[in-house]
Amino acid sequence: MSLLERIAHPNQAKVWYGEIPIQSRYTVGITGERFFREIKDNGRLWGTRCPHCDLVYIPPRLYCERCFAHLEEWVEVPTTGRVHTFTVVHLDLDGNPLPEPRIIAFIQIDGTDGGLIHDLGEVDPEEVCIGMCVEAVFKDPAERRGSITDIRYFRPVG
Amino acid sequence: MARNRVAIVGAGMTKFVRRAQETAKELAWEAASKALESCEMTLADIDAVVIGSAPEAFDGVHMKSEYLSDGCGGWGKPIIRGFVGGGTGVFSAIQGWYHIASGLFDTVLVVCEEKMSSCQPHPQGAFITIFDNITERALGPNLLWIFALEMNAYMTRYGLSKRDIALVAVKNKRNAADHPAALLGDPNITVEDVLNSEVLAWPVQRLDVSPISDGAVAIVMAAEHVARRVTNKPVWVEGVGWNLDTAYWTNRDLSYPTYVEEAARMAYKMAGITEPRKQIHIAEPYDPFDYKELHHLEGLLLFDKGKASEATALGITQRDGDLPVCPSGGLLGVGNPISAAALMKVAELFWQLREEAGARQVPGQPKRGVAQAWGDLMQVGTVIVLGV
Repeated sequence: MSLLERIAHPNQAKVWYGEIPIQSRYTVGITGERFFREIKDNGRLWGTRCPHCDLVYIPPRLYCERCFAHLEEWVEVPTTGRVHTFTVVHLDLDGNPLPEPRIIAFIQIDGTDGGLIHDLGEVDPEEVCIGMCVEAVFKDPAERRGSITDIRYFRPVG
Repeated sequence: MARNRVAIVGAGMTKFVRRAQETAKELAWEAASKALESCEMTLADIDAVVIGSAPEAFDGVHMKSEYLSDGCGGWGKPIIRGFVGGGTGVFSAIQGWYHIASGLFDTVLVVCEEKMSSCQPHPQGAFITIFDNITERALGPNLLWIFALEMNAYMTRYGLSKRDIALVAVKNKRNAADHPAALLGDPNITVEDVLNSEVLAWPVQRLDVSPISDGAVAIVMAAEHVARRVTNKPVWVEGVGWNLDTAYWTNRDLSYPTYVEEAARMAYKMAGITEPRKQIHIAEPYDPFDYKELHHLEGLLLFDKGKASEATALGITQRDGDLPVCPSGGLLGVGNPISAAALMKVAELFWQLREEAGARQVPGQPKRGVAQAWGDLMQVGTVIVLGV
């Protein structure tokens, strides 16, 4: 163990370089197909409801994680919600300063028992507060790809 | 040491397919909910959940059991993930057993899921790092190398031909034609088809190998007092065993799986089996490659070394033979979503011993079966003996 401590330069230790050469192709799943199609085609959010547990899941689920019921009742939910909590991100993954800090929030979607993680926009970090009412801002239909980034960000309402 | 008696009371599975539209969680839920339905239980009746899934890289998700947990029925429950590579499916059932045998829980839902189609361009990319980083990876190995080297060592030691071994692939793919969840069942496949298929790494050819697949399997396990209330046909776990050989495959005898023998001896001792050839009525050995079925049958002490192929040629291992082997169709026929494939073997014994296997049912009211899986760095054997 002490060998590395006595080496002045890391390259003095004999190493062999390798990588795991894979990429992942994730299917969005049975409920994901419909969820993302509604976002892409209509700029709307849909969830699924468990009638036994009286829960509305967003993102939608095929099954209720609490009672295991197959969820077949789709409900359109508002594109508005409240900031449950947020953070202001200053560095990128490599530790470099971002040109502009990003505000990342957990937005509880109105009328549901869940929410989405997303950017907040059209607002300064010092103006954001927990409990703030926000709404989704979608990209133009032509730019949408059926992805969570079809929502540009959430912005304060009113 | 006193141990509580444990039974399997329910089982369910998804179809095994080349590429599922479902997410991994959705596949897990489908199998788990079918298993619960099969014994008229609900999630509320389950005390704990065991999740089995092989390398993280297949699904492309780290902390895979946490990711899969809600699809496996783990919400608000104690969960554990077992992982011994290809041996995981049988090992998960062993974990379910000791959760209950220990007295800690009365009911356990065991769910194994694999979604290999996420992994691009091929799951071989994920397997590369199982080789020794320093002495082997620089050679650019892939998993087929191990099997090809092992198959050649096995064939040469016992003087077996490619044709002898191809009979296993034919038997299993034909058996799988009767399995509603199978990916590669083929009632008309012949030895010539296997011998004429593409050579991948000699002596391994395309039809000697099981396909990569997506799928999930689940079983419900229960303590005796619960099992007797839930069903009049509990299938008892009579013995379990597992064992690892050296991680250096260059320090093993590749022509004989000693680790399988050690695991089998452990399980047979627990089950009170002294003459496995008489006391075991069905075997579901791990068959990712056709020669592996023979290899493992010998490791399970069901045939003399080098003699499993002769028994195959004589029809002894056919569904209506003296010792039906892989009546499910095995990995070669049903498919090989790693951990799910091995738990499928446990589920098959459950259905066979309850005489609920439909077109796959082996005749003669079998009373005891053994399922076995193998994997990790090709040196783990996991064995479970079930009986009624």
